[in-house]
Amino acid sequence: MSDIPVFFLHGLAYAGLLFLVSAGLTLVFGMMNVLNFAHAAMYMLGAYFSYTMLQATDRFWLSLMVCPILLFAIGALIERFLLRRVHVFGHLHELLLTFGLAYIITEVVKWVWGNFPLAVNIGGLLGDTVEIIGITYPVYRIFIFICAVLVGAVMALVLYKTRLGIILRAAVNDSEMVNALGFNVPLIFMGVFAFGAALSGFAGVIAGPLLTTYPGMAHDILIDAFVVIVVGGFGSLGGAVVASFLIGELQSFGVLLFPKLSVALVYLLMAAVLIVKPSGLFGEKQ
Amino acid sequence: MNQRNAPVVLIAALFVLGAAMPFVLKPYHLNMLTEIILFALYAVSYNLLLGYAGLLSFGHAMFFGMGAFTVAVSLIHIPGLSIWSAIGLALAMTTAVGFVTGGLLLRHKGSYFALLTLAFNSLFYAVATKWHTITGGDDGLSVTRPDLALGFTTVSLAGIESFYGFTLVIVGSAIAFCWYFTQTAMGQTVLMMRENEERMKFLGYNTNISRLILFTFTGAVAGLAGAFYTLHFQFCSQSAISVDMTTTVLLMTFVGGTGTFWGPMLGALVYIVLQNYLSDITDRWPLFMGLIFVFMVLFIPGGLSQIIQSARDLIAGRRGTGKPMAAKEASS
Repeated sequence: MSDIPVFFLHGLAYAGLLFLVSAGLTLVFGMMNVLNFAHAAMYMLGAYFSYTMLQATDRFWLSLMVCPILLFAIGALIERFLLRRVHVFGHLHELLLTFGLAYIITEVVKWVWGNFPLAVNIGGLLGDTVEIIGITYPVYRIFIFICAVLVGAVMALVLYKTRLGIILRAAVNDSEMVNALGFNVPLIFMGVFAFGAALSGFAGVIAGPLLTTYPGMAHDILIDAFVVIVVGGFGSLGGAVVASFLIGELQSFGVLLFPKLSVALVYLLMAAVLIVKPSGLFGEKQ
Repeated sequence: MNQRNAPVVLIAALFVLGAAMPFVLKPYHLNMLTEIILFALYAVSYNLLLGYAGLLSFGHAMFFGMGAFTVAVSLIHIPGLSIWSAIGLALAMTTAVGFVTGGLLLRHKGSYFALLTLAFNSLFYAVATKWHTITGGDDGLSVTRPDLALGFTTVSLAGIESFYGFTLVIVGSAIAFCWYFTQTAMGQTVLMMRENEERMKFLGYNTNISRLILFTFTGAVAGLAGAFYTLHFQFCSQSAISVDMTTTVLLMTFVGGTGTFWGPMLGALVYIVLQNYLSDITDRWPLFMGLIFVFMVLFIPGGLSQIIQSARDLIAGRRGTGKPMAAKEASS
């Protein structure tokens, strides 16, 4: 069973990607109470932008820098001109709006880039393999995991150790008071939403070389990211870490151990968590 | 016309109008009308959740698809099965699924509920795709419409005219029953729960049970629509259970308007007609559907029924209420 370490590492890589996607989703949800259905569509947009940039410049690091910035701008515009308008109607309309946007983005992507998968190849160090715990393993998958750890650590530091984090969390609890103290709360929320979009774009760029870039990628990751949020607990960053790890490994070992059941395993885990603890592993009781 | 009797008159008028259609329409349009009627039922059942109970579900296709697959599978594997039994099996199946999934899903509300229904729908979709021996996987299942046994005589449903008549009677009655349901104490309870759940709890209603009954009921109704979907196209594939099928009904319901009982039926009509003509003009029709949807969320949250209501107020010389009524109703 020398396969086990390989599958474990595969699981870690997918867990890393899942965390990158669900971290933005859970942040926006936790802060603004908006379940962003367009999150995965923005992730897809990140992947396609990156594909085009790689075609033009062949510089992966550059696209890893630029694409999140593009998505940040798109996210800011969406929040400012669309989401804020329907805020008065309540959560349902916010959700419906992001859902409609996801629909439009997916269709536009199909229109512009075509309805077929695009392979993304990266050269250099990241495209190489490395000797690790006695097996040869692609560097790229380890890189994904390191990215996820870094992003998670930075988010936790900013949220819980800095002044900015205090203001952000205060704005969630009592936005009127924070507003009265002289902080621009609408701007804060716009920033949070845009940051979530940037994070999704970052995840998209990273996902391209791992999963190829295809029109169904948004839908596929969205479901898994939702399961992560359900299992980990709504709006909990720590829960997202644990649930991403669980689901990543479950996906990976599921293929090895129960090939026929593998697609259903993730949902079975979700159902089990729902029955035992409806608020998720780290969720607060509603 | 008496306000109280107006809906009954409307239902009767729709039936009469529907009965006259085979004499007016060409088979191509009659086909389309059959599709509209079955999707109207699907949209009505969805609106009972969204418009009446304020529950946004992204998993309604699991009932639609379950009904569609039950009919297809049972007709293929049980030779000589009557059409009634096939439909009955679909109803039983979706009722059971609705009861079990509802028990799990309804522990959450709002966005949580929406997210969970999507995940559950994906579970069913994954099973339908992977369980190739039963569901046919990507290839789908082809069935032939069995004859309709009425006891004293047998009617062949192979032609579109007879099947249209059958659909009109059964699906039309189901829609009428859904309307009747909204008038019952149970339906009114759901409406009041949406407005103020705490008060209903204090009044002694078990709101969780009411919601579960409603969820199961809408599931069974969607299953009936799904059953007719298979019978109409004589084919059933995994697309019947996909998230796209929920998207479709959400668009229909929202375009028609969640504020009224009749809005979603209008939405189904507009959607199917628009889809038929737009797909002739452009391959990009889903994009236009998406744009229409976002436009409506932003500017006309009450849908077509809100426009009609405003127009009616304008003609009657009354001042509009200003605030869209559906916006408030649907946003609990």
